[in-house]
Amino acid sequence: MNLFNKDSGEAKSQAELLYEAQMRKESRFRLNVGLTWLLLLVILIFIFSGQALPFGLHTIKLDTTFMSDNLRFIAGGINTTIGISLLSIILATALALFAALGRLSTFPPLYAVSTFYVSLIRGTPLFLQIFFFFLALPQLGIVLPGLWAGVIALGLNYGAYMSEIFRAGLSSVSKGQREAALALGMTPGKTMRRIVLPQALRFAIPPTGNEFIAMTKDSALVSATGFVHELMWRATEVGRAHFRNLETLIIAAIFYWILTLFLSYFQGLIEKRMSRGDR
Amino acid sequence: MGNLVKVTDLDKYFGHLQVLKKINLIVNPREVVCIIGRSGSGKSTLLRCINFLEEPSSGTIEVDQLAVPAGGKGKNHRQLVHEVRLKTGMVFQEFNLFPHLSVLENVMEGPLTVKNMDKSQAALIAEMNLDRVGLLFKKDEYPNRLSGGQKQRVAIARALAMEPKLMLFDEPTSALDPELIGEVLNVMKKLAQDGMTMLVVTHEMGFARDVADRVIVMAEGEIIEEDNPEIIFKSPKDERTKALIDRYRSGGQ
Repeated sequence: MNLFNKDSGEAKSQAELLYEAQMRKESRFRLNVGLTWLLLLVILIFIFSGQALPFGLHTIKLDTTFMSDNLRFIAGGINTTIGISLLSIILATALALFAALGRLSTFPPLYAVSTFYVSLIRGTPLFLQIFFFFLALPQLGIVLPGLWAGVIALGLNYGAYMSEIFRAGLSSVSKGQREAALALGMTPGKTMRRIVLPQALRFAIPPTGNEFIAMTKDSALVSATGFVHELMWRATEVGRAHFRNLETLIIAAIFYWILTLFLSYFQGLIEKRMSRGDR
Repeated sequence: MGNLVKVTDLDKYFGHLQVLKKINLIVNPREVVCIIGRSGSGKSTLLRCINFLEEPSSGTIEVDQLAVPAGGKGKNHRQLVHEVRLKTGMVFQEFNLFPHLSVLENVMEGPLTVKNMDKSQAALIAEMNLDRVGLLFKKDEYPNRLSGGQKQRVAIARALAMEPKLMLFDEPTSALDPELIGEVLNVMKKLAQDGMTMLVVTHEMGFARDVADRVIVMAEGEIIEEDNPEIIFKSPKDERTKALIDRYRSGGQ
């Protein structure tokens, strides 16, 4: 085959051949990764399948009737888990935005409030914060339902961590953008709302998606209050009652895993859409 | 009838460094004035002081009979600055198009948010101005899909959509590949022929020679020479102007 003959319809250029080889290599890689995943999954299932092995041994046996009996009860917590995470991420996003603006402010008190908040929250455990709002506040006469204590604690906590994302987003917008808006006669407020924030948010949304996924898992900590009937609470509740913790925790783990897989998929879609009109 | 721009005794300091020294400058209506000079001569800073992207340290900026003293503070000063910016359009070296908005939306943004026009009217004005720079067919594209020259022409349309009395150009072709400079200069030439008052900071000596009514030469924060292009390019008085012109000649063209 003549590589350099461009006139004949069949001959491909060197670049095209290289590209195709590259593509073949990539798809072969993806296929191998997929097969290995499948293998690992099969091994995992095998370990918990109670299969008989030689010498009278067998893999771990699960009480499958118990599992199917309680599947619906545990699954009933998915809504609460997602609900807590949604409320918390909204609170966290608002807090993170204010903290980021404060962090970029040249007005000392604003800068101080922002850094103080971030330092205090990042310096203490999330678990402690949840208990603080649920158990410590009642001593001061403020009684929050478990759900709200959880949402406030998660929101405050993630807000502090996410402020860094928003700060990076705001700083990613060049000074020229602001100047162009001001030169058009836009007020600083409008410049922020219409020019800087939309660009900063576009930068911040994918990592915020990551935080949301992390939060759906950290929401399990709220079960410790005993009053929020989300996935984790339901799993431990029936697990303890019948000493079937292995079964119920496995069910909960599967639900969390599927949930995060779903969310990761959607986050991937958002990320793709967000790159529209990129520089 | 007065001048469109009158800069009086303008000083500008960055910290202790004085970058503009007692600048006095007048631009008449319909006049095209080019400011040339080496990098660091203060020409961009002067331009940016006129619409207060840089706050002057002292002196007065007057645009279309509206005088704004330097160093003002508070609401009153902000209002004056706002009115000056309404009268001026600005084109930047780096284009600064809004990447999250389409070409049409970029040009609509000023009329929409500053003049509070309704959408259909703003779109009409935007289309008119895009047509003026020959890019109406790109109106639905995003800026990242445009060449540098096209970006700068959209930026010019965006400034024109506010119907300014004065256009400020801050090295509008310096970030462009050589083969794209021409299309931007042509748009600027047409604008000049249409009678727009223009103040242009540029390294394009050809443009200054052919289009400018007057050329201002700056060095070390001062205006060292100011005359019609004929005289500046044929018989410059100041040694530094001579060096500048010679360098441009030896650089081809």
